[in-house]
Amino acid sequence: MTMARHPTSTLAACVWIPLFPLRCEEARREGLAGFPSALLAPDTTRKLWQVSPLARHTGVKPGMTVSQAIGLCPTLRLLEPDPVHYDEQFAKLLSALTEVSPVVESAELGIAYVGTDGLEGIYGSAEKIVEAIKRTLECWNVGMSEASSFRLGWGVGKFTAWVAASRAKRSEAIVVPIGEEQKFLASQPIAVLPLDPDIHRRLRQLGIRTLGALAALPEEAIAAQFGSVGRRLWLLAAGRITERVVGRITPEPIVAALTFFTPIGERELLIHSLDQLIARALRHPRRIGWRVHALRLRADIEGGGSWLATILLKDPTADGARIAAPLKTRLEQSPPTGAVERLVLEFTAFAPGTSELQLFARDAQAAARAGQQRALQTAAREIRMRIKRSSLYHIIEVQPWSRLPERRYALIDYEP
Amino acid sequence: MVAPTRAPLRTDRLRTVNAPKPVTVDLQESGLMTVGRPDGRTAGHVEAILESWRIDDEWWRQPIARAYLEVMLEGGKRLVLFQDLITGEWFSQMP
Repeated sequence: MTMARHPTSTLAACVWIPLFPLRCEEARREGLAGFPSALLAPDTTRKLWQVSPLARHTGVKPGMTVSQAIGLCPTLRLLEPDPVHYDEQFAKLLSALTEVSPVVESAELGIAYVGTDGLEGIYGSAEKIVEAIKRTLECWNVGMSEASSFRLGWGVGKFTAWVAASRAKRSEAIVVPIGEEQKFLASQPIAVLPLDPDIHRRLRQLGIRTLGALAALPEEAIAAQFGSVGRRLWLLAAGRITERVVGRITPEPIVAALTFFTPIGERELLIHSLDQLIARALRHPRRIGWRVHALRLRADIEGGGSWLATILLKDPTADGARIAAPLKTRLEQSPPTGAVERLVLEFTAFAPGTSELQLFARDAQAAARAGQQRALQTAAREIRMRIKRSSLYHIIEVQPWSRLPERRYALIDYEP
Repeated sequence: MVAPTRAPLRTDRLRTVNAPKPVTVDLQESGLMTVGRPDGRTAGHVEAILESWRIDDEWWRQPIARAYLEVMLEGGKRLVLFQDLITGEWFSQMP
């Protein structure tokens, strides 16, 4: 028998914050929530990615082109996406949830599962556990806009928890008691299933509107019609599958060390060595998917004695420069008292990065993107300070097919 | 649909790119064609007309009819001009 690598949980709470990226924007742009707004897609700026409810009322939908959307809603506020910011906010949310349970799984931006097996010993009933999660979310939510309210669901397995969360009202929770999953699921619409549009259409043509109606059909008949995907859908609808929440194991500390042939006392050399150690530790495979939260730098001093700096990063990061900054300050303010024989860097605590966007230095390219974004932000801030107004624009295609040159492209204020 | 270029700068608003700029075009009897800026200064005399084309669009809404000319000014500078065939006004624009 082998030990499971990841902690898992059968009982699950689902935290859902609809339109998470848009809510992040509303939180940092005062007054935005009162206007119809839409986020441009991160990959192609011609299409809309997320659309606020106010914009939806005017007929604007995700996937529309900018020209279609502006045609329907001239007051629409278009926003450049900032995936790094959304990812950071979501990572903070996951980090907050780990205070309730060590088993936290991120599904996608705005959806997270919390494993609650064994938590009844700490909090009590399922309702009490949900209350604890709500309290955590409310604390986390302080910086977010009111509209960013979460929805919570609790039940056996991730699917039941997700369906419960999707049916919950804003800032409220639905708890599905153990043993009542099938009864709860039976009345839910088939749209809660992970369906592709074609299967959804075919099920509706067959007159199947609810999970109960689907589960009432023979499993083999559904499998014959829709293959293995259909069988899985039937099992989910009938409440016969319990998908467990799979948490992540916090990695062991990562250590990188450098022994000097000749003890060194020059600060520049120490700083150079520190940069090398940070780069080496960041490259460690165990660090992938995790941001550094706490670290320690130790120096063995010639002739005995040692020097130690322990840093807790306020914002966990996988960026070398941000990790190095407090250590360099410490080296400047209170350097080792003698020449250093050995320098040891330890990453001792980590915070999860999200798996969806993989922006937290999962590879060099991702790290470069995050660094580039920060450099752009700094440059834009400086320009704004100097000329007292925004003068950076992003070119977006509006009607690239138009025969009238001025209709093809437009400028949108660029705020990296 | 698109906010005019000279609209006050506001976040989240679109600004046009490559909007037509008004110019004056003076055609003398001798055939000399002169392009002028709105402030009265002369942009240059036309040496040659390199290309011409016409755009008719949006007849179902507010008809747009433009006669475009790609011209070469004295000194070799190339310029794209068009005459709005409805109002008779001249503009310069990147193609």
